[in-house]
Amino acid sequence: MTQVDQRIAAPALEAAALGHHYGEHHVLKDISFEVGTGEFVCIVGPSGVGKTTLLRCLSGLQDPSVGSVRFRGAQVAGPPRELALVFQDYSRSLLPWASVLDNVSLPLRAGGMRKRAAGEAARAALGEVGLGGADPSAYPWQLSGGMQQRVAIARALAYQPSIVLMDEPFASVDAQTRADLEDLVRRLQVDLGLTVLLVTHDIDEAVYLADRIVALAGSPAGVAEVVTVGLGPERDQLDTKLLPRFAELRAHVYRLIRGARTSGPVTTEE
Amino acid sequence: MRTARRWLYSSAIELWLPVLLLAAWWFASQDSLSPYFPSLRYILDSFRQDWLGANAIRNLRPSLTVLAAGFGLAVVAGVAVGAVLGLSRRTERATRPLLELVRAVPGVALLPVFIALIGIGTDMKILLVASGAVWPVLLNTTDGVRSTEPLLIDMAVSYGMGRWRRLRSIILPAAAPQIFAGARTALAISVIIMVVSETVGSQGGIGYFLLAAQRSFQITDMWGTIIALGVLGYLLNVLFRLTEAIVLRWHRLYQARLSAPRR
Amino acid sequence: MVLAQLGVIALAVGLWWYLSGVAPGSVPSPVRTFAELGALVGTGALWTAVAQTSAAWLIGIAVCTLVGIPAGLLIGASRIATDSTRLTIDFVRNIPPVALVPLGLLLWGPTRNMVLLLVISGTIWPIVIQSIYASRQAEPQLRDVARVFHLGRRWWLTHIFLPGVTPFVMTGLRVAATICLLLTITGELFGGAPGVGTQIQNAQIGNDNPQMYAYVVVAALLGLLVNSLIWIAQRRLLRWHPSFRKGS
Repeated sequence: MTQVDQRIAAPALEAAALGHHYGEHHVLKDISFEVGTGEFVCIVGPSGVGKTTLLRCLSGLQDPSVGSVRFRGAQVAGPPRELALVFQDYSRSLLPWASVLDNVSLPLRAGGMRKRAAGEAARAALGEVGLGGADPSAYPWQLSGGMQQRVAIARALAYQPSIVLMDEPFASVDAQTRADLEDLVRRLQVDLGLTVLLVTHDIDEAVYLADRIVALAGSPAGVAEVVTVGLGPERDQLDTKLLPRFAELRAHVYRLIRGARTSGPVTTEE
Repeated sequence: MRTARRWLYSSAIELWLPVLLLAAWWFASQDSLSPYFPSLRYILDSFRQDWLGANAIRNLRPSLTVLAAGFGLAVVAGVAVGAVLGLSRRTERATRPLLELVRAVPGVALLPVFIALIGIGTDMKILLVASGAVWPVLLNTTDGVRSTEPLLIDMAVSYGMGRWRRLRSIILPAAAPQIFAGARTALAISVIIMVVSETVGSQGGIGYFLLAAQRSFQITDMWGTIIALGVLGYLLNVLFRLTEAIVLRWHRLYQARLSAPRR
Repeated sequence: MVLAQLGVIALAVGLWWYLSGVAPGSVPSPVRTFAELGALVGTGALWTAVAQTSAAWLIGIAVCTLVGIPAGLLIGASRIATDSTRLTIDFVRNIPPVALVPLGLLLWGPTRNMVLLLVISGTIWPIVIQSIYASRQAEPQLRDVARVFHLGRRWWLTHIFLPGVTPFVMTGLRVAATICLLLTITGELFGGAPGVGTQIQNAQIGNDNPQMYAYVVVAALLGLLVNSLIWIAQRRLLRWHPSFRKGS
């Protein structure tokens, strides 16, 4: 590949030999992978494997002990402006004292946008996630869990990022809501041309959503394999999940995660 | 080795400020000629004489009797009445305006009333302390009992636990953290009212001593008594915290677990 | 329900009446007490006393709020500051504030300054301690939110930090407001500074039982006022907080 080609194909986000430890406790080891621009990548691994630590390192919230993270070819030190993060626990990441509209528009206003323009952008983002009919002056805790997570996604969208990182975003909602939210995120990613990196412990979810899957396993956790999904851009909760390819991938990822895990000590966290 | 160093570090960081303040006081007051701010050395001498050793027992016993009995009464009465109100929503709502009114009386304001009703004596002081200190316990107990997780009560009923058993094994333990929070406020109020109650017509106790020292311009004795009250307040607090740590062990661990960062 | 509430109050007044019949020397009947209170309302003495007590309370709580909240938040924001001050604060706050009355009397005599020394030395601690606690409890997840969305210092402070600490600070303020009134009255009753407390004391010395009871009622009404003020402030500031939520 020539020099020029490489720059055009520069990945949106890149982890290079990343490792992390808290004191003596090693969590992540030698993790390398890339997320291409416009790609949907899922990181999947069992609970307690250090996925959240990895995501914090990737988003610039935390410096890895070893290795580096690059965003569009530049070394990450602190969260990049073009990156937005959707947290796992919406009840703790939405401001309970601010209305839905204020929650979504706060980052914009802090960025210097006028109140009116920020409000309009926030409304548009709320419409985008299917909350156009909801009362924007309601407090987030007056909404259902699924709707709260939609607010959190709207906040990320309104911020106009080129890449969205999501940490187990659907872990605390019921199955039906979860399916709806998965389809929402998948649709937004395609429609808006976003790059999405989503962390989950759910193999089905990873296979259903991703273009590529980074399977984590072991202790300290490393990349067991990067799996290309190849199910095409159109996904459907019923049909996609009935495809033989889907079952195959699920079994493959399952074996990856389990297989490598038995070689290390079994963690009993959570 | 490592733990020893950590221990040393943490004690150093907690101790430097008090040591510095004491040293500052000591040196600043060393040659003090001000009648109101005598040298710390004389203050400590007087503290040792009045409040350590044999004198301490004589001077402290009346105060501690009033405090223990008054605070104890407040806790027992507060928990009992608070539990009743917490269990019966109707009683609670019916008595609320009256309770709000009665609890709004600043405890000390009742001193003359109690003197007129009961006369000057230990009983009066105990009742006065109890009547001022009971409210935080009572209100917190009501609140705690009322906010017991309904699921726990359903569970108890489904296992056939009787009313008394439910109260003892489920409702009161669940309300205990709040009861303790109330009791802590009650303890502070008890000490204030105890001191004030001793300034009338008694012949002993910290309050009496404090006022007598001030009236007869025994300034070093007065300062010594202030220090004694500080030490007493501190020790009471330590004692309270120890009790809390033992009784509410589960709660402390539970809270630590809840607030631990999730990784 | 209102009927039941009135019934309970009527029952209490009945008990009072009964007691006044048993010991007429020490307990005046409710009628006499309220007649006395009615007479007092027309005089300047009552209103002067109420104004003096309220002023001392107001100055005390204002000073403690303005000093205690920033101090506590700053201390709580730094681990080293929290550890360094822990023992000192723990000791000083456990000194019963009444211990300082004699010192105040020596320095200023039975005046408002003396009352303020007592009031401030006792009221400030719940505020400082709750503020330290509030600062420490700041939701770590919201810190991440602020960093990811590049909220500047000012926006972090006004939209995330301050609203987040308000519930804890209000808890301290609620306790402080009650203690503040208790100490104001204590300073007046025990130290002789002018106000409602002194009026109670004077009535007792003058053996004027109805007047003494009337002033105790006034003290209770002041307490009720303080509690209501705090309740209203809490409702306004903490509409979003779980303890005030409706229909979530």
